Amino acid sequence: MSEPLLSVRDLRVSYQVGRNFVHAVDGASFDIPRGSITGLVGESGCGKTTIARALTRVIAENAAITGGQILFDGKDLAKIPEKEMNALRWRDIAFIPQSAMNSLDPVYTVEYQLDEVLRRRGGLNRKQSRARSEELFEMVGIDANRLNDYPHQFSGGMRQRVAIALALALDPKLIIADEPVTALDVIVQRQILDQLKELQTRLGVSVILVTHDISVVAYICDRTVVMYAGKVAESGTMQAALTAPSHPYTMGLRNAFPDLQGAASGILTPIEGAPPNLASPPAGCRFKPRCPFALDICGTEPPVIEVAPDHPVLCHRAHESAALRIESAKTETWMVPA
Amino acid sequence: MKNFKAVGSRLLQLALVLWAVVTILFLMFRLMPGNPMAAYIDPTFTLEQQQQLMAQFGLDKPLWHQYLIYLGNLLQGELGQSFRYREPVGQRIWILLPNTLILTFSSLIVAYVFGILAGAYLAWRRGSWVEQAAIPLVLTTRAMPEFWLGMVMLAIFSFSLGWLPAGGTRAPGNEYSGFLDLYTSRDFLAHLALPAATLAIYSQGLPLLLMRSNMLDVMKEDFVTMARIKGLSNWTVVVRHAARNALLPVMTSFAIAVGYQLQGNVVVESVFSWPGLGRELVNAVAASDYPLAQGAFLMIALVVIFMNLAADLLYAFLDPRISHA
Repeated sequence: MSEPLLSVRDLRVSYQVGRNFVHAVDGASFDIPRGSITGLVGESGCGKTTIARALTRVIAENAAITGGQILFDGKDLAKIPEKEMNALRWRDIAFIPQSAMNSLDPVYTVEYQLDEVLRRRGGLNRKQSRARSEELFEMVGIDANRLNDYPHQFSGGMRQRVAIALALALDPKLIIADEPVTALDVIVQRQILDQLKELQTRLGVSVILVTHDISVVAYICDRTVVMYAGKVAESGTMQAALTAPSHPYTMGLRNAFPDLQGAASGILTPIEGAPPNLASPPAGCRFKPRCPFALDICGTEPPVIEVAPDHPVLCHRAHESAALRIESAKTETWMVPA
Repeated sequence: MKNFKAVGSRLLQLALVLWAVVTILFLMFRLMPGNPMAAYIDPTFTLEQQQQLMAQFGLDKPLWHQYLIYLGNLLQGELGQSFRYREPVGQRIWILLPNTLILTFSSLIVAYVFGILAGAYLAWRRGSWVEQAAIPLVLTTRAMPEFWLGMVMLAIFSFSLGWLPAGGTRAPGNEYSGFLDLYTSRDFLAHLALPAATLAIYSQGLPLLLMRSNMLDVMKEDFVTMARIKGLSNWTVVVRHAARNALLPVMTSFAIAVGYQLQGNVVVESVFSWPGLGRELVNAVAASDYPLAQGAFLMIALVVIFMNLAADLLYAFLDPRISHA
């Protein structure tokens, strides 16, 4: 594997809530290779959106990056001065938000908002900016004569396309898409995902797709990073993670989601319980309370085991994963003993 | 086409409101206790003379007839004769209205420009000592009664320091050839300074607090966060996105404040002997000069109704979601 575009090492992000610190991201490490789509997947509150925002360093007022490195193109984004970081924003790292409705300014036309980025951040002149806006609209499949419309005049799917056009405006190296299709219905979801995949392949840009929906990841991603309670449970290629999931949480997730393609994949089995409170996480493996394969040893901090090259897993029993996979396919395994 | 219809129905509404105001005014003054002619008729007049005068003013006719005459006159812009001044009410109002409007708008514009800027600044500096000191100060200005503030201003700047004149619109003996000549003279502006400052100090709290709380809400919006992620400058984020959106409700409040201010003017105009509509209204009511009071009320109602219309149109202009809805 060539030098990755982005390499996150032991990243820690904490929120201050009253006098307590919640470690939303607690030592996450993963790589994003150039030209790939990586799915960052996990339940609500597992820290995936916090990571996405930490990569832009625009985080909540009560949040702070407390440790680790974000190596991007030879720079550590966790350390560089704010001015240098701001120069990088949008030119190198763009963002597609979850709700394009709220993330487009309602009082300006879409063209104004494209123009703002193209001219203020991209240094284009008025004429070039107009030409680029038309080109971008064509790329995402919207008629250029709608440039003068206001955000509220677009449908949800269209707005998401506008958000994609905005993200592509300055030819960034990395696009972070935070739940880009969660607010859309399934048909439109697929159109947007297809569009995103097509553009990503054509432009060779790297994408991090943050989602709670593993079927979305399975649909368009090359790679996946599975997060649980602020830690990376497992990461690797899509092939490895889906055909040979090696962390019990990934196995459970796979059972719990329907297929976006609509193929019948049998009965859906939920993972019982809820993620731990990150203000006071359990000792040892954080998935232990919900894990059907938990042993006594799981009460101690789990090691990162490379079950295959480029496939690290955070689990004491990772070396037994082949056997656990067979067990995990059975619904009874996930039933809580009465 | 849709817009024409909207404006048309808005104008129809306006006409209805106007008619209601006019009717209420008509009834109000006729339901008041006491004879409306009391101020006009000398008690030494004979009964015959009194009846003759009543007939002259049309007060011997039945109420519905009086109402029709009143409506007919209004449509021709005829507001009647002032009992006290023995001159047409329209003429009187024509002299006083500009004074009131100049006082109202100059003070409100100062108050809103200051309030909007300061409110936005305080929202941006949330949690700083500046904000912690400023908020109680603003609340204090909101809590001070206008007449009291006016008297304090007079005591300091007029009586003690002698910097500014105490009342009226011009120094005694100064004559001016016309409206523009008077209103642009140093003399007039010096007279305007204290009452306008009093009203401005009293009024700036509303736009300031409104702007601040709107800003705090808007700053949490996704599009502001996105503007930061886009790497736009702080100025662009705060002014072009946050403040621009926070401004919308403040602009509407301006139009409403104009109406509210006209009431407040009654007090301030009295304190500063400002020859405006508000002061005249108080005097007219006290002197039972019903035609003049009625005319002044009507004028104030007109300004309020017109400003509400202006607020609607302004909002549609400022917020694309309204104009396209």
